[in-house]
Amino acid sequence: MKIRYFFYISLFLAVFGDWIANEKPFFCRYQGKDYFPLFEAPFVKLGWKQWPEAFQMGSWIELQFERKVNTLIPYSPETIDRNNLGLKSPFDIQNTNSLWSRHWMGTDRIGRDVLSGWIRGFRMAASVGFLSVVIAGILGIFLGGLAGYYGNDRFRLSLWKAVILFILIIGMFFWISLGFESNWESKPVIYWLLIWVLLGICYVFLPSLGRPRMAIPIDGFIGLLIQAIDAIPALFFLLALLPLAKNPDLLDIVLLIAIIRWTGIARLVRAAFFKIRDLEYIQAARLLNINHFNICWKHILPNVMGSLWIIFAYSFAGAILLEAYLGYLGIGMPSGTISWGSQMQQVRETPSAWWLAVFPGAAIFMSLFSLQRMGELLETKSL
Amino acid sequence: MTMLTYLSKRISTLILSLWFISICLFYLQKNVAGDIVLLQSKARSNGSFYIHPLAAEKVYGAEAVRLNLHKPLFYFSLKSALFPDTFYRIQYPEAIKIQKKLLFQTGNWSLVQSYYQSLSSFYEKVSQLENKRLSIFWKERLQKIAYLDDLTAINANLSVSKEMERPFDAEIRKVKGIINQLSKCSPSFFNFFPVPKWYGFENQYHEWFVKIISGDFGTSTRDGRLVKDKLKEAIPWTLWVNGLAIGFAYLFSFPMGILMALMPKSIWTKWLNHFLLALYALPAFWIGSLLLFQATLPGGGFSFFSISGWTFYQQNGGFVNQPVPFLLQLSLPVFCMTYGLAAYLTAYMQSSFQKVLKEPYILYARIKGISQFRLYFRHVLPNALLPQIVFIAGVIPALITGSVVIEVIFNIPGMGRLLIDSILSQDWSTVYTFVLLVSCLTALGLIVSDILLVISDPRIRFSSTKNEGS
Repeated sequence: MKIRYFFYISLFLAVFGDWIANEKPFFCRYQGKDYFPLFEAPFVKLGWKQWPEAFQMGSWIELQFERKVNTLIPYSPETIDRNNLGLKSPFDIQNTNSLWSRHWMGTDRIGRDVLSGWIRGFRMAASVGFLSVVIAGILGIFLGGLAGYYGNDRFRLSLWKAVILFILIIGMFFWISLGFESNWESKPVIYWLLIWVLLGICYVFLPSLGRPRMAIPIDGFIGLLIQAIDAIPALFFLLALLPLAKNPDLLDIVLLIAIIRWTGIARLVRAAFFKIRDLEYIQAARLLNINHFNICWKHILPNVMGSLWIIFAYSFAGAILLEAYLGYLGIGMPSGTISWGSQMQQVRETPSAWWLAVFPGAAIFMSLFSLQRMGELLETKSL
Repeated sequence: MTMLTYLSKRISTLILSLWFISICLFYLQKNVAGDIVLLQSKARSNGSFYIHPLAAEKVYGAEAVRLNLHKPLFYFSLKSALFPDTFYRIQYPEAIKIQKKLLFQTGNWSLVQSYYQSLSSFYEKVSQLENKRLSIFWKERLQKIAYLDDLTAINANLSVSKEMERPFDAEIRKVKGIINQLSKCSPSFFNFFPVPKWYGFENQYHEWFVKIISGDFGTSTRDGRLVKDKLKEAIPWTLWVNGLAIGFAYLFSFPMGILMALMPKSIWTKWLNHFLLALYALPAFWIGSLLLFQATLPGGGFSFFSISGWTFYQQNGGFVNQPVPFLLQLSLPVFCMTYGLAAYLTAYMQSSFQKVLKEPYILYARIKGISQFRLYFRHVLPNALLPQIVFIAGVIPALITGSVVIEVIFNIPGMGRLLIDSILSQDWSTVYTFVLLVSCLTALGLIVSDILLVISDPRIRFSSTKNEGS
C-alpha cells in the first residue's frame, strides 16, 4: 500500500480545501452583472472592491442567481443550511434543489454540511500537527542537545562567573515579569531591562575569572524538567493548563501540545548526543578549535536527524490525536472551530447520528495509521 | 555504583520533580481559579452579589480571611522596593490593580495608601448621608473614581457643582490635596530594584502542601463535598477498566506474539503485522462511539449493556454480588481500551522474541541439541518476557489518558469523568489536587518499572549519566 498518496491527498485538501468546499460560487451573474465571489472575497474584505448588499448578508446558498458555477461542494464548513436542520443522514431525503447541492455526508444539528467540515478538518489536523511538531522539535533539540552535550560535568564555570550568571538570570526573570505587571508603561522598568540585557551581552565577553571549577548540572536540571512533565498524563496536562488562557485559540493549543511533546524528542536527542560527543571525530573537531555550537550543529545533529524523523512522525500523530480528544470533549477549543474532533462531539449527545462519527473518525484513523506506518518505514530504513 | 545509591538517587530526583509539579499546580490553581472569594459570596447570596469597590476591602477581606487567602503565597518573594512588605494583605483585586498602577506612576506608597484611605472614608461618610439623591450621585461618582488611575482625571471627576460638593467639602479638599502631592511624585530609578523577602512557613502554598501530604484534599468549591470522598468513589472504576484492559491485553499478546515470532516468514504473520499496526492506529474513542451507537439500537445485540447501568452497580456492590452482568457491562469500554494496547504489545513481544532468537547463546543451545520446546520456553521466553513486564509501567500514563475519553463516552463514573466534570463546572481545587495525585501515581509507576528493570537485568549500568534515554 502506498501511504504516500494519502499524504498527497491530505496536503491537497489542507491547502485547497477552501476552493473545493465553499458557499461562494466561482462565478455568478447577479442582476445582470458578473462576479467571481470566491476570488474577489479577499479584496472585498480589504475594501478594494464593492459587492451588492445581498452578498454581504452572508447566506449565499439562499440567493437567487441568474447563472452560477459552484465549487465542488457548495457549502462552507460554517454555512447553515436552514432547509436541512437537525441531523440529516446521508441517506435521508434531503431538502435540496439538485444532486449537486446534496449533503453527501449528511448535516449536523444546526444544518452544517459535514463533508465540507470534514475537508476543513484536514487543514486543522495538518496545521496543529505541523506547528506543534516544529515547536516541540526546536525545544527538544535545543534542550536535549544541551543536556546531552554538556552532561552534568562538562559545563564548567569559575565561581564568580557562576554567581554573576545566576544573578543575571534571576534579574532577567524579574524585570520581564515586572514589565508585564506594569503593562510596559513604566519607563524605569524598561531602562532596567535594557541595562540587564547590556550586562548579559557583557557577560558573554567576560574573561573567566579564575579556574573554571564549578560544574553546572545542566543535564540534571533538564532531566528533572523532563521527568516532571512526563509524570503527568498528556491529556491531564493539557486540560490542567488550558484554563490558563482565558479564551484559548488554536495557537495556545499548539503551544501546549508542543510543551507536552518536546520531552520525547529531548530524550532521544540527549541520548544520541551523549553517545556521539565522546567519539573520536568530535575530539578531533575540538582539537581543531571548532566551537561548541558548530560541533553540535554541523557534526552531531546531522547524525541524529535519521532517528529524529521517526519521532517527528509519531509526534505528529500524537498531536492530531490530542487535538481530536480536545475537540471531542469540547474543552478548550475556541467556539466555532470545526475539526474532526468537534464534529464527533455531537455524537456524544445523539449516538444515532452515525455519520458524524464514521467519517471524521475514519479520517483520524487514516492520518494516524499513515503517520505511524511512515514512522515504521523510516525505522526499518534507518536500521 | 551500587543498587542502593542508584535507588536513592532515583527516588530523590522523583521527589524533587513531584515537588516541582506541586508548585506549578499550585501556581496554576491560583491563576486559573478566578475569584474564589467572589464566587463563594455569589453562591451564598444566590447569584446577586454587588459590592462598591470602596467598601469591598472590608467585606471581601473578611471572606478572604475565612478562606485563608490573606497569607503570602509562597515562602519568599522577589518584589521591587516600590511595593511595601504588606502589599499582599490587600485582597480586593480591583483595589490591587489600581494601587499598583498608581504606585508605578508615583512610587510613593504612603501617599497612595492615604489616597485610598481618604477615598474610603469619603465613601463611608456618603453612605451615612440621608439625602438619597446626593448619596446615590456620590456613590456612583466614587465608583467611577475608584477605577481611575489618571490623576488629572480623578481631579476633574472630583469637582462638580458647589451645591453637590458642600456637604463633603473637607473630604474633597483632603483627597485633592493628596492628589496634588501625588502628582508631584515620580518613582526614582532605584525604587524598582528587586528586594528578596522571606515569609517563613506561614504561607498558602505550605499549608496546601502539608494538607495534601497528610491526606486532606480539601473540599470541592462547587458542591462542598470532600474531594477525598469523590476520589474514593471514582478510583475503583478506573482501576477496574484499566486493570482488565491490561490483563486482557497481556493474555492476548503473549501467545500471539510468540506464535508470530516462531513463523516469521508465513504470509499470516505478514498480514497480521499490517493488521496490528492498523489496530494500533484505530482511535479508541471512535470505536467507542460506534459501539455505543450499536448498543443504543433496539436490536443491536448489546442488550447486556446499558448506558445508565453504572449507578445500579454503584449501589448494589458490583462485582461481589453480580459478577457476570457486571463484567458484561464493563466489556465494551474494556474492549475499547484493550485492542490498541494488545496490538502494540503483540508487536513488541514478537520483536523481543525474535531479538532473543538471534542471540549467540541460542545458537549454542541449538548446537548442543536441546529440544525445541525446552529451547523456546526455558531459554528464549524468560528473556523475551522481561522487557514486556517492565514496559507496563511506562504504558500507564497513556492508558490513563485514553481512559478519560472512554469513561466520558460510556458514562463510567471513574476518575476521567470526574476530571472532565470538575473542569466543566470550574471546580479547580478538585482538578489540581487530582492532577497532582495522578502524576504522583504515574511517577511511582515509572520508578517501579525502572527498579524492576534494574533488578531483572544486572547488565544495565547504574550510572545515571550513562542511563541512555530511559
